[in-house]
Amino acid sequence: MSKCSTTLLVITFAGLTLTPILRAQTATSNAPGEEAKPDNKWNSVPPIRPWYAGKKSAPAPRRSLSGVWDAAELDGGRQPSGALEHPALLAPRGQGVEGGRPDETGIMRPLHYTSQGLEALKANKPSGPSVRQVPAALANDPVDQCDPIGFPRMELYELRTIELVQTANQVIYLNQFYGNYRVIWTDGRELPKDPEPRWNGYSVGKWVDDYTFVVETVGLNPRSWVDHAGRPHSEDLRVEETFHRVDHDNLELTVKIIDPKMYTEPWLGLSKFPLHLQPADFDLSELICSPIDMQEYNKQVGNAVLAPSEKK
Amino acid sequence: MKNILRRISFLAVGLLAVSVSLFAHHGNAAYDTSKTITVKGTVTDYVWANPHVFVKVDAKDESGNTVHWVVEAQNPVSMTQIGWSKNTFKAGDEVEIEAMQAKNGNPVGFLGSSSPTAPRKRIVINGKQFQP
Repeated sequence: MSKCSTTLLVITFAGLTLTPILRAQTATSNAPGEEAKPDNKWNSVPPIRPWYAGKKSAPAPRRSLSGVWDAAELDGGRQPSGALEHPALLAPRGQGVEGGRPDETGIMRPLHYTSQGLEALKANKPSGPSVRQVPAALANDPVDQCDPIGFPRMELYELRTIELVQTANQVIYLNQFYGNYRVIWTDGRELPKDPEPRWNGYSVGKWVDDYTFVVETVGLNPRSWVDHAGRPHSEDLRVEETFHRVDHDNLELTVKIIDPKMYTEPWLGLSKFPLHLQPADFDLSELICSPIDMQEYNKQVGNAVLAPSEKK
Repeated sequence: MKNILRRISFLAVGLLAVSVSLFAHHGNAAYDTSKTITVKGTVTDYVWANPHVFVKVDAKDESGNTVHWVVEAQNPVSMTQIGWSKNTFKAGDEVEIEAMQAKNGNPVGFLGSSSPTAPRKRIVINGKQFQP
């Protein structure tokens, strides 16, 4: 068999096996039964993580982060029980008793709270699946009201797709989940000393080598939670993100939480978490927490789910 | 006694009112995941919005009375990833939708995970199985 026909065979086979994935990538606004439109370049859908397995990549470019990076939300980026490295669970999900506990005693990978931290933890009542889960009616998660998710929670709750844009003196960071942006300054400026709090903080970044970019963020609004399990932070929180460009198509993200008022030692929310480069024409779809939509949902769905039974 | 009852009922109403504004992202906890029910009837509305997409269906109970069902899925971005769109349902469609029912017995259904690798619930729209 000639080299040419072998290549053709491989392409045909790949085409057949990947058809459902490619179709899912483009089937975004078609009526049921309609074929996906191949020219649809809007609201792009990233592949699921197994699609990347075994893929070869070109070497990493020097000092470059620009592009759309997907976290494979359904295969790892989603962190309903708290930050991925420290979920507030007694056992892997589905195997342990969940909910109703006053604190996190006995969780698999415990965090070390100060007394102030423990008190602040107990004041946050999460409704997500974790050891301190409370019924939705008793929860006080700011995100349930569509209050800003804030940083670092935008990376430690539902990490989906982000876009990074490098300019001469900034890295612009766009996060799809609830529509957030951050500006990471690379012009050598110092972090502010006593800043007005911001939901997404004040960030500076620098290359520590040609493939590793470290970002420090301070000035974070303590009204936001660190994650979906209600981990608290103070106004002294400092977050250190490390973006490591493994090769052309792969980036690893590590997120370190440093808040001596709340925790006796720094801890990692994400550790070398894999992000995958998307095609240059990838269009981020909108995922906004809209109070008016939330209100309508509560009226039509949420209320009926929570209401006592009408059956006699 | 009457006064006490009145106070209790006010308290109950108050709790309900609070619960409305705090409710969101309950996941599976509010639904009976142990069994699957089928909602069969006519679509009256379809809302393609955050936090969750939902479809309203008028169905008949055993006595022939109309029951107003609502079946929720996940957010539009996640539903798009498995081939749903704002045009998946329209008012007047005759549907059969498999779902989990709210634990409180109210006519509310949930389709569960939208993971591309999770098994799909059976949905029939105007006699045709929905296979995005």
